[in-house]
Amino acid sequence: MTSSKLFEEPGLKQITVWARGVYENKEARDVVVAVTEAAALEGKFVQAWENYVDLPDRIFVPVRAYGKISDQPIESKYVYENETPDIVALTEETLVKGVPILGGIRPGAVLVVNTKRSPQEISKFLIGDTNKLKAVVTVDASGIKQGVITLSGAEGATDASGIGGGFSGPLAGAVVKATGIVSLESLLQIVKDKAAARAGYDQARVADAKSLGLAG
Amino acid sequence: MGVKKRISGCVAVANGVKLADVDVICSYPIRPYTGIMSELARMVADGELDAEFIHGEGEHAQLSVVYGASACGARAFTGSSGVGVTYAMEVYSPISGERLPLQMAIADRTLDPPGDFGSEHTDALCTRDQGWLQGWSSTPQEALDMTLMWYRIGEDPRVLLPQYSCQDGYFVSHILGEVEIPDAAQVKEFLPPYKNHHVLDVRRPQIIGAQIEPAMGPPLQYQRYQAVEGARQVIKQAHAEFAGIFGRSYDPFVEEYMTDDAEAAIFIQGAHAETAKTVARRLRNLGEKVGVVRLRVFRPYPTQEVRLALSKFKAVGVVDNSANFGIAGSSGVMLTEARTALYNLGDKVKTVGFVGGLGGEMITHDEFYRMFAKLKEIAKNGKTDRDGYWLPFEL
Amino acid sequence: MSFKEVPFAGTVPSPKRENEGMVTGNWRTKRPVLDKDKCTDCLICWISCPDACIDQSTTGLAFNLKYCKGCGICAEVCPSNAITNVPELDYAD
Repeated sequence: MTSSKLFEEPGLKQITVWARGVYENKEARDVVVAVTEAAALEGKFVQAWENYVDLPDRIFVPVRAYGKISDQPIESKYVYENETPDIVALTEETLVKGVPILGGIRPGAVLVVNTKRSPQEISKFLIGDTNKLKAVVTVDASGIKQGVITLSGAEGATDASGIGGGFSGPLAGAVVKATGIVSLESLLQIVKDKAAARAGYDQARVADAKSLGLAG
Repeated sequence: MGVKKRISGCVAVANGVKLADVDVICSYPIRPYTGIMSELARMVADGELDAEFIHGEGEHAQLSVVYGASACGARAFTGSSGVGVTYAMEVYSPISGERLPLQMAIADRTLDPPGDFGSEHTDALCTRDQGWLQGWSSTPQEALDMTLMWYRIGEDPRVLLPQYSCQDGYFVSHILGEVEIPDAAQVKEFLPPYKNHHVLDVRRPQIIGAQIEPAMGPPLQYQRYQAVEGARQVIKQAHAEFAGIFGRSYDPFVEEYMTDDAEAAIFIQGAHAETAKTVARRLRNLGEKVGVVRLRVFRPYPTQEVRLALSKFKAVGVVDNSANFGIAGSSGVMLTEARTALYNLGDKVKTVGFVGGLGGEMITHDEFYRMFAKLKEIAKNGKTDRDGYWLPFEL
Repeated sequence: MSFKEVPFAGTVPSPKRENEGMVTGNWRTKRPVLDKDKCTDCLICWISCPDACIDQSTTGLAFNLKYCKGCGICAEVCPSNAITNVPELDYAD
């Protein structure tokens, strides 16, 4: 007996943010929290959490933060990972190399990378299900605003430094521009540095996957 | 009215502790409960909570510190996870024996091996017979509410017992859920100041935990037995008061979900109950007569309530998220206790154990689906082939 | 996974040289690059590398990029400035 069809959640969107351990845990968490809280303002059902089994206290280790947004109550709640992300964001460019960032992506997924480089340059490094990508987006989020390095907010505690004060604001801005998952106005209501988030939205370079030769 | 926020189970408990206005907190870090203490440390540092925050040198010391604090008349709080819970094992019985109603939060973690961070109820269930009250929350909201409820019940002059407020590690402790944080004035109405029967005070010297003769054993143990048994009535009363003041009501002992006319039910405690409910709901849409019964209080075990709830079904699958090696029935302690509660009904209700989610592995939708399929088969045939199944290897 | 595939009591042989279960090269954001003309073979980098990722070969020192986490200690300790940290994406491999 199989039940795979029985538990589908059609309206559910998954966002996964990859980051480097210790330095960028907070920024990754801020991206998912900012986007999901913005979606909650728009009346959506949301969930945000950090990966529990990555090794977050190892400097540079690839770590993840997750968000879920849905029109319906979220039923796949107590899970460890987003199995099939619709949006993948990277807090740092080198994660495209040797890290399975596109694992499980759904057709039409969007990749957003914090980098000075162009989508063309980034796409050369992509491996895996690149044919499922709809767009590759780059934004120099770190150039707009420096990251905040803090352990505040780790292990499920409250982040006393606030949400979206570092480069997570502009990175979330780029996510919003590329996907329209929430409105920019909603995002700006949540993030601490509104000007930086808006700059990320304005400066994001969105390249269609077909134009990059990625689409299958 | 309170404020609504999306917070983790750890932050929810910390908010409950803050609202309970505790006097002494003793910490020692271990994942996943750590977030409770980092949040409380922040609250104390930021002046939101006026409490002594003591960092113990280990879990045994943690429990010893709150033991002393509670004996001095302070409302005390501590917590731990996994091997931290078992390391403090010696101190649990003295605390309940001296009738000190302090609270310990446990965010479950598997014992070693395998030494991972994942949730498993084994750690807290090891402590189940230490004379403490014990219950499991399945959401961050319930974790906050249980913190307040346990202080209210444990400190009641008719009870005076310590409490384990348990939540599944990661699933509840680390995933953000919507929580209504109540108003401090409401909490004040619900939870009167802590006043113990006997308080350490230099002006009135007394010995607590004195060495005793064997002849004192039976009466002292009987006193503690009566306190645990008597807590049932107070638990009911406190839940009714809680609902009146906060407008959120819980069935005190067992929560029933879609059990009307159900023929088969899953009996479970903790976070995985939420996944079981999803599966039951989807199966109901297909016309299956299935439901879920969630145990909220493990000590004192609600024998009557469990009997009443489970006796309606033809087949009950009891889910154990703990490793109880060599136990009667070869499944887990949830099964043995449920069977004891049902024993006097004869063989009317068929029970079977399912051991799942060990080491912190998820119990997936599909696993609950398979459990319900097995229960359907048992309900139809009116017999069980075996006592229990270890998932995923045996079902 | 079948319980039979898991080693008895979770006990596994210790890796003698490289641990295939913990390949850490993808932690690296910057790659150490050696200027052989400047290198004096003093081996201070070799003894300082916390992950033992610098190999002594017949043709001089070589970085084990399968495991190098790019911490930059080698470049920091090099007395002759023979090691530079270069952004990882400047290399296709």
